[in-house]
Amino acid sequence: MKKRLFQLVCLLLVAGLTWAQNVTVTGKVTDEAGNPLASASVQIKKTRSGTTTDAQGNFSLNAAPGTVLVVSAVGYEAKEFSASANRATISLAADTRSLSEVVVTGFGGAQIKKDLTGNIARVKGKDIEFMPTPSVDAALQGKAAGVFVNSQSGKLGQAVTVRVRGNSSISANSQPLYVLDGVPITTDDQSRYGGDMNPLTDINPNDIESIEVLKDASAGAIYGSRAANGVVLITTKRGKAGKTSVSFNFQTGYSEATKRLDMLNSEEYAELILEGAAYRDNLSGTPLTSPSSWTTYVKDDVMDYFSYGQWSADPRKSYDWQDAVFQKGPYRQADLQLRGGSANTKFFSSFQHLEQTGTIIGNDLVRSTGRLNIDQKANEWLDLGVSLSLSRTYNRRLPDDNAFSNPLQAIALMPMTPFLDPNTGLDAGTPPGDVNIPLYYNPLLTVKYAKFTQDVYRTFGNTYFKAKLAPGLIFQTEFGLDFLSQNEEGYFQSQTVRNQTRAVRGVGSNSGTFVTNYNTNSYFTYTKVKGDHNLNATLGMQYQQSQAKYNFTEGTDFPSNSYQKIASAATKSGGSSSQTDFRFLSYFLRANYILKENYILSASGRIDASSRFGKNARQGFFPAVSAGWILSNEGFMSKLSQISFLKLRTSYGIVGNAEIGNFPQLGLFAGDAGYAGAAGQRPSQLSNPDLQWERTAQLDAGIDYGLFNNRITGEIDYYIKKTDGLLLNVNIPATTGFNSQVRNVGKLENRGWEFVLNTQNLVGAFKWSTNINLAFNRGKVTDIQGQIINGGVSSMNRVEQGYNVGVFYTPEYAGVDPANGNALFYKNVKLANGTIDRTTTSNYAEAQRVVVGDPNPDMIFGFTNNFSYKSFDMTIFFNGVQGNQNNIYGMGRYSSASMLYEDNNTADQLRRWRKPGDITDIPQVRLYRVNGSQASSRYIVDGSYVRLRTLSLGYTLNSKQLAKLKMEKLRVYVSGQNLLTFTKYPYWDPEVNADTFDSNIAKGNDFYTPPQPRTILVGVNVNF
Amino acid sequence: MKLLKSIVANSSLLLALTSVTITGCEKRLDIAPYQSIAEDLALNTEGDVLVTLVGCYDGIQSAATLGGEIMVLNDLIGNSTNINFTGTFAGLNDAWNGLMVSNNSFAASTWSSSYNTINRCNNVLSAVDKVTSSVAKKNSVEGEALFIRATLYFELVRLFAKAVGDGDANANPGVPLVLTPTRGVTEADYKPRSSVQAVYTQIVTDLTRAESILPSSNGFYANKWAAAAMLARVQLMQKNFAAARDAANRVIAGSGRSLNTDFTRLWYTMINNGGVMPTEYLFGVKVTTQDGTNAINTYFGRTITPGTAGRSDCKIRPAHVALYEAGDRRNFFVLSGGSFYTQKHLDRFGDVPVIRLAEMFLTRAECNFRSSTTVGATPLADVNTIRTRAGLAPLTTLTLNDITRERFLELAFEGHNLPEAKRLQTNVGSFAWNSPKLIMPIPQREMDVNKQLVQNEGY
Repeated sequence: MKKRLFQLVCLLLVAGLTWAQNVTVTGKVTDEAGNPLASASVQIKKTRSGTTTDAQGNFSLNAAPGTVLVVSAVGYEAKEFSASANRATISLAADTRSLSEVVVTGFGGAQIKKDLTGNIARVKGKDIEFMPTPSVDAALQGKAAGVFVNSQSGKLGQAVTVRVRGNSSISANSQPLYVLDGVPITTDDQSRYGGDMNPLTDINPNDIESIEVLKDASAGAIYGSRAANGVVLITTKRGKAGKTSVSFNFQTGYSEATKRLDMLNSEEYAELILEGAAYRDNLSGTPLTSPSSWTTYVKDDVMDYFSYGQWSADPRKSYDWQDAVFQKGPYRQADLQLRGGSANTKFFSSFQHLEQTGTIIGNDLVRSTGRLNIDQKANEWLDLGVSLSLSRTYNRRLPDDNAFSNPLQAIALMPMTPFLDPNTGLDAGTPPGDVNIPLYYNPLLTVKYAKFTQDVYRTFGNTYFKAKLAPGLIFQTEFGLDFLSQNEEGYFQSQTVRNQTRAVRGVGSNSGTFVTNYNTNSYFTYTKVKGDHNLNATLGMQYQQSQAKYNFTEGTDFPSNSYQKIASAATKSGGSSSQTDFRFLSYFLRANYILKENYILSASGRIDASSRFGKNARQGFFPAVSAGWILSNEGFMSKLSQISFLKLRTSYGIVGNAEIGNFPQLGLFAGDAGYAGAAGQRPSQLSNPDLQWERTAQLDAGIDYGLFNNRITGEIDYYIKKTDGLLLNVNIPATTGFNSQVRNVGKLENRGWEFVLNTQNLVGAFKWSTNINLAFNRGKVTDIQGQIINGGVSSMNRVEQGYNVGVFYTPEYAGVDPANGNALFYKNVKLANGTIDRTTTSNYAEAQRVVVGDPNPDMIFGFTNNFSYKSFDMTIFFNGVQGNQNNIYGMGRYSSASMLYEDNNTADQLRRWRKPGDITDIPQVRLYRVNGSQASSRYIVDGSYVRLRTLSLGYTLNSKQLAKLKMEKLRVYVSGQNLLTFTKYPYWDPEVNADTFDSNIAKGNDFYTPPQPRTILVGVNVNF
Repeated sequence: MKLLKSIVANSSLLLALTSVTITGCEKRLDIAPYQSIAEDLALNTEGDVLVTLVGCYDGIQSAATLGGEIMVLNDLIGNSTNINFTGTFAGLNDAWNGLMVSNNSFAASTWSSSYNTINRCNNVLSAVDKVTSSVAKKNSVEGEALFIRATLYFELVRLFAKAVGDGDANANPGVPLVLTPTRGVTEADYKPRSSVQAVYTQIVTDLTRAESILPSSNGFYANKWAAAAMLARVQLMQKNFAAARDAANRVIAGSGRSLNTDFTRLWYTMINNGGVMPTEYLFGVKVTTQDGTNAINTYFGRTITPGTAGRSDCKIRPAHVALYEAGDRRNFFVLSGGSFYTQKHLDRFGDVPVIRLAEMFLTRAECNFRSSTTVGATPLADVNTIRTRAGLAPLTTLTLNDITRERFLELAFEGHNLPEAKRLQTNVGSFAWNSPKLIMPIPQREMDVNKQLVQNEGY
């Protein structure tokens, strides 16, 4: 029996061996263009056995003939083929579905999206290329869930507000940290004129391969004390082995302001101002015809005087000063990109030239950039590379919003004032004509007779060495630099003297800015895959030092306006030089562990030390942990075939914010208190040796899902972000001689939901895909220990416990008393019984300030549809913000103010109260006697909008047509930016924030702020 | 094997490099600012104290203090019937209309800039012992800091508190008195308002000491006569006529200064005088093309001829211009665009007059008249000194009204009208002299921060 059994076993074994007679399968894996793919995996389906390709894309493994082999590579769609002895060439198509995308995580890290446990939003360079937004941050608008972008102004190249998951600070900078190819770059304004500028404008957005926004603490902790506002990793394009591709793109078109305001014409203006003058005369019992009456003053010294006497001749003659300051601005952009290389040397190179003219007169931007990125494989164990980008950005600047020379302030000028002085034929107010006409300085004079230009020369450089020390162990060291050199020149001719009082014989200035920013990263990366275990760890250090040097010279008394350099100035009227530095030294650790491809655990931490913090608190530790579970790999999920992917993930960690300027911790005297030629000093800052970074603890829980073979994918996230130890400019009694001291005081939190949905609605000849991102954020200051922190126009933005940062805090407008035309305000006084007194008063001082609005949106979204059919492609991209308010008091107090002053008013003021019984919301006109134009909720308006941000239509020639032209690709397109805006906002553009007032707290203010441009372009893209 | 060796060698080199960099780096975090110095290095030598004193002058040069806004506020609140304010600064428009609210931005900036400068003075006074080169130098430094501090307290208590004579000065809240430099913030820094009387007592003490230790001559910095003249003004405000008279007399008799023969040459100090301060200014704030802002010019000025500038906000009513007798050189207005502007403040870089010798004659005249004395000169002689300089015929008889009228015309639009109305108890437009509308609000910001403060009536 035993013997027979043995024979049987032998037989079975032999049979088994025969059945499993393996062959050696060899082959090569390439991309669609035929370039070899290294490190692609070739596995026997449903097992873990397999191999990976070598540098040339070749593989070899043993498998039984007919076995199904799965070839996969990061960033490509997997392919199956059956094993045979014939050499196979497998070409993989790039995977456009997001789950298999590779996401950059910082310090050399890269993870496949499906293995991520932190929250990182990825925007592909392709999604933002050729957009007519000069800076990359503006291009992010609506592209990433939970990333709020507000371009603030239509002035070219100016600062953009970016908030990742709400505002996590009060006094410290709340902009994210930008890291370009591993180097934290200079993003602070460096200009000395007008509003804040945006140093990100020096980056060519078309050089970008991808942008990763690290949103949660787990993703951000590796940037420690600098990650609380989120981290934006920008990765530029690298070379690819294979044939050199040459791509040329040209686009041209024009921009226009999105909207015009309806202002009073001359007759309407006269009607209102005479009504207000009569009110004053009746009040004082002065006959209207008396020479000392307000009415006479208004007729003779206002309307006639400021119209060169034309008003009494023809009271109907009217000028819309918006016509004088808005323009159609041409746009031109050419891009050339070269990309190629061999197995050992790869390069990417690009050139760009951009010329953009603003929608407001006197604003131009010209940018030229070049980039060369080279990667070299030196030998088996050493890779090295270098990146270099050079750029020059020229900007003819506009003054800040709160300057009489801001062209949009021309809207305040009387409609009877002609554009030209009839006596001289020159612009109104040009000498030798009367310089005191118009009512205010004519901003056109600054456009014609003055110029302020900014030239930025920017170098981004980076070299790296990457050594394979042992199997799985890599050491990488990087040295990066960011040099920002800037020259600013201004010259104001004598014609501008009413505005530039120093320009009697011309005033010129010239200034230089040199920001040198060095960064080194050195780190070890260890990767080990053994059976079910996959470990990846990084350990390293980073040191950054930034030095900013500034100089400035100014001269007056020029021989004539033909001499505009300070060499010709008889008086060198001003000069200055200054410097400021900061440094960071950091150590970091990150480890990812994946068990059986289903269970993911990740931990990271960073120790940061900085020159910015007090002696008693120089170092901080920022840890984070996260975990993920891919349920869809579990057996129990296999029955749910509709669900192709499902992952639960959660993270928790602590990050910091160190953006409080340099040296906030020191007690200081400043040497800028000279008097009449004698040098002087003054106490300038109170010390705080305990000062440290803000701490933000963030919990994130999310689901990544894929349905119907991943035709529908998406993410759902919920987060709680709690910040404590806020770096606050704490108000102290001014009787101390100081207004504030920087302290770690107070707490705030942000909570929110984020939804991402990507669908491929139609596949086949007619393709339609949709991407939606939607985010809700609720910010709340939970503790500020009674601090009163105000900002913005008339200090109406405020930090108020229980509310979001920067809410509008002002008396509540109650409309107009029908009996007498008085503006009314709700008292809103808390009564003894705890209720609020909702009676109204015309005595403004009796009305309590209350929270009446919030400049922070409750909800932001982006909604993109891509269509293609045969040779046609179309993109429709909407974005929107909802639930925020704007403050129009900056301009409203003058121009929507029942004609309080002599400024022209918006046409809605015609609705004013005139006689007892009138029911209206616009109070009676009372010249120079305030009635309702005090700061109040009257000027807090809905700032929500939905905007057709981009609409583009393209046509690509087919291969037959191309063959004739000897081209690889030719696409022609038209695109429109900001074509439609749906909003209830009464002024120009709801996406606004006045540059004069801009701060963390001061958001949502409009102060004659230039609106966003509507741009229409045609373009052509050619590949050789 | 060779490869492995080289890898090991290379990696140890890298590690060594890294650790060298790291140890080098730790020290590199100790960096200092460039435009500022640590406070413990700031006040150790005589030179340190002297430059801090210059910082005190820089403080009163600020637009929000004696750079001019204090004078502008005194005129807009107190002389509103002679001015048509057509500017768009709501804080000033409200001041002119008597409709101020507690968040008036000019109230806030005047308050904080004044106290900022007071802290500078307190820093100087705390370190005056470091001045060792001579007793005279030490006295001068101390006297100048006391003069500036006292002048600012005087401006503050006049703008932000009830006038002397309006109720009980010992009970009425004045302004907080801070007399030591601030190095940190403790409970003691949340100071309540001292009484009006306590503030005046401190001012008189400081000015009296300043007068006694300041040199007679000190360039354009404060000297003995500036202190005495300010003391005369303070005493007059308190109706201490004898003390005011004696202080004014000390200035006229002792300073060696005399009235400019030509009234019109007192102005346009940059355009016509090359930036030299007229000697008639017992104290003024220097403005140069490099430094300082004449804020009276900002609001009263207008661009007319080269070197002139301004917002054209304060138009002088024709009724005021009509007040001057024929031939009065003080009828010093320019008609432009249909409105009158005072020529006292057209010069963009003109020095800001704080106290002029002419005021001393008028003070001595009024006090002699009220006390029926003739210290220094008869009241009639003093008034005629002023009239003669203005190009007018001398008076032969004199009433108190003649003296105050002469004072009003002589010092028009130099920031005197609000205190004059309160001192003489005359109405300002429809407001009684002691109306709460004529007292500025304690800034809302300050009320919010410091619970020890009480707000003025009506805010």
